[in-house]
Amino acid sequence: MTTTLTPAPDQIALVDCVSFYANAERVFDPTLHDRPTLVLSNNDGCVVAACPLVKALDPEIMGKPWFKIRAWCQANDVQARSSNYELYGSLSSRVATILGRFSAWQEVYSIDESWLKLRGTPEELEPLGQEIRQAVLQLTGIPVRVAIGPTKTLAKVAALGIKKNPAFNGVLDLRRFPEEQLSRILDSLHVTDLWGVAGRNSKRLAALGIHTAKELRDADAKWLRKRFSVVMERTILELRGQKCIELETQPPTAKDQLIYSRSFSRKLTDPDEMHQVLSIYAQRVSARLRAQGSVAGVLSVWASTGWADEGTVPHSAHRSVPLLVPTDDPIALTKAACVILPDLFPTPGIRYARAGVVLTGLSAADGIQFLPVFQSEFDDRGIGDVLDEITRKLGPQSVGVGRGGLKTPPGWEMKRAMLSKRCTTHWDELPVAVA
Amino acid sequence: MQASQPEPLALDGPLILPLAPEAVACGFPSPAEGYWSGDLDLIKHLIRDPASTFVWKAAGHSMTGAGINDGDLLLVDRGINPAPGRIVVAIVDGDYTVKRLDVIQGRTVLVAENRDYADIVLHEHTEMSVWGVVTWILSRPTIRRGVRPLR
Repeated sequence: MTTTLTPAPDQIALVDCVSFYANAERVFDPTLHDRPTLVLSNNDGCVVAACPLVKALDPEIMGKPWFKIRAWCQANDVQARSSNYELYGSLSSRVATILGRFSAWQEVYSIDESWLKLRGTPEELEPLGQEIRQAVLQLTGIPVRVAIGPTKTLAKVAALGIKKNPAFNGVLDLRRFPEEQLSRILDSLHVTDLWGVAGRNSKRLAALGIHTAKELRDADAKWLRKRFSVVMERTILELRGQKCIELETQPPTAKDQLIYSRSFSRKLTDPDEMHQVLSIYAQRVSARLRAQGSVAGVLSVWASTGWADEGTVPHSAHRSVPLLVPTDDPIALTKAACVILPDLFPTPGIRYARAGVVLTGLSAADGIQFLPVFQSEFDDRGIGDVLDEITRKLGPQSVGVGRGGLKTPPGWEMKRAMLSKRCTTHWDELPVAVA
Repeated sequence: MQASQPEPLALDGPLILPLAPEAVACGFPSPAEGYWSGDLDLIKHLIRDPASTFVWKAAGHSMTGAGINDGDLLLVDRGINPAPGRIVVAIVDGDYTVKRLDVIQGRTVLVAENRDYADIVLHEHTEMSVWGVVTWILSRPTIRRGVRPLR
């Protein structure tokens, strides 16, 4: 290969949304524009997101339970919202779509982060980063940051720089720094500030004399791989600018696992209610399974008490059920989920706070053919399709299998008392403009 | 009851997926073969960019002259330049309003298209920003009998 024809190596850009949940709330609520805004977890439990204005008032706000900060919020004009995942999901997918227009290589990494591959000098890419910010802000109302570096790990370092220094105006290509300045920057970062370095490794690294990101970069990668893992070696090589963690740009055509898990609005102490919960969760996850045209090979089910709940005997149970024949049948899946029931309430004084059903070993529904002897008793009944058709017409609570079919409104459904309008997903909650 | 998972507004999906007549394997070949390339896709027709288009609802009567009636749905595109003359959703002092944007004698004005309503003339202290540009007004026709138009 001739060097003159070798194209400049691709750079990695991390585009992340600034205070995503809080800013998503602001898109359809101008009264939040310059007010401190925070978002609560499922069931309005504790703070999961807070904009910088809130963090300025209380740097330790994250994770605090709502009932403890309620009065404080009122006194300080802090606006609280229940988590509006419908809105966040909609805006997130719009942001990801727009980012995809700037690069042929995109990995949607989380609800508020995408990796992009970009090609060019820092003098070219920093203006492009500003263009990306401008486009996403204008089209969706969501502010983003664009952090660029030769590797994912270094792009994350650039992201830290942007957060620390407003002068970068939301965009930074780490290559703009000369070698020795970059070393100084890395020397100012603790190893645990780095992407991929777990906090639990901090002490062991310190014992080896490695405290800062620079010290880690300059350490013996092979030796540390032996003492830690291949992950540590990759981090070191990535800090040196050698790409080890590629973009996962192949979007999975179907999810390879499906999860339906929720916290209950009140704690459950009744085995019958737990039976109903698990039946409904199994049916909801099986509807998703059919929606993506898959069958599941394994069903896992779990239930647990609240981690901070002092009014319960702590307990959690977990069961995995291999399904003899991969299936999408709601009856089979409901039955499988209920195998956990005998494990629940082993002692008195237990109240469960959440439960979940997880389907794994997924494969395409039309991609498998079994000998009749292996066909489960549920196949060919088409019950799933019938259920889906009914719920599509009459709503998700119109019909169900087993306890999931009980008409009593489940008292344990999630509580979202301060939910803003689901403006982009619900016809009866559209934003209103006064004419 | 909550939707179990964020499901974005399906603006980019086609409305219907009829079978192509070419797929008929036997019998007389369809004379329409080669002419058929899919039915009209209303979503594509109405929406320039699904990522930047949102559905709003109009409430009130100040824009009846522009064809916006109380309760109409508005398609609002954030990706279109809010040039004077466009109908926009604007934020004025913390409230959303739909009006026609114009510049009259050097002043930005949000024009009401109904004589019973006053225009909003922007002063230095008014905070105004344009949220998006209205690209379509979706109204249902009224059902009424015995109507004779005035001549």
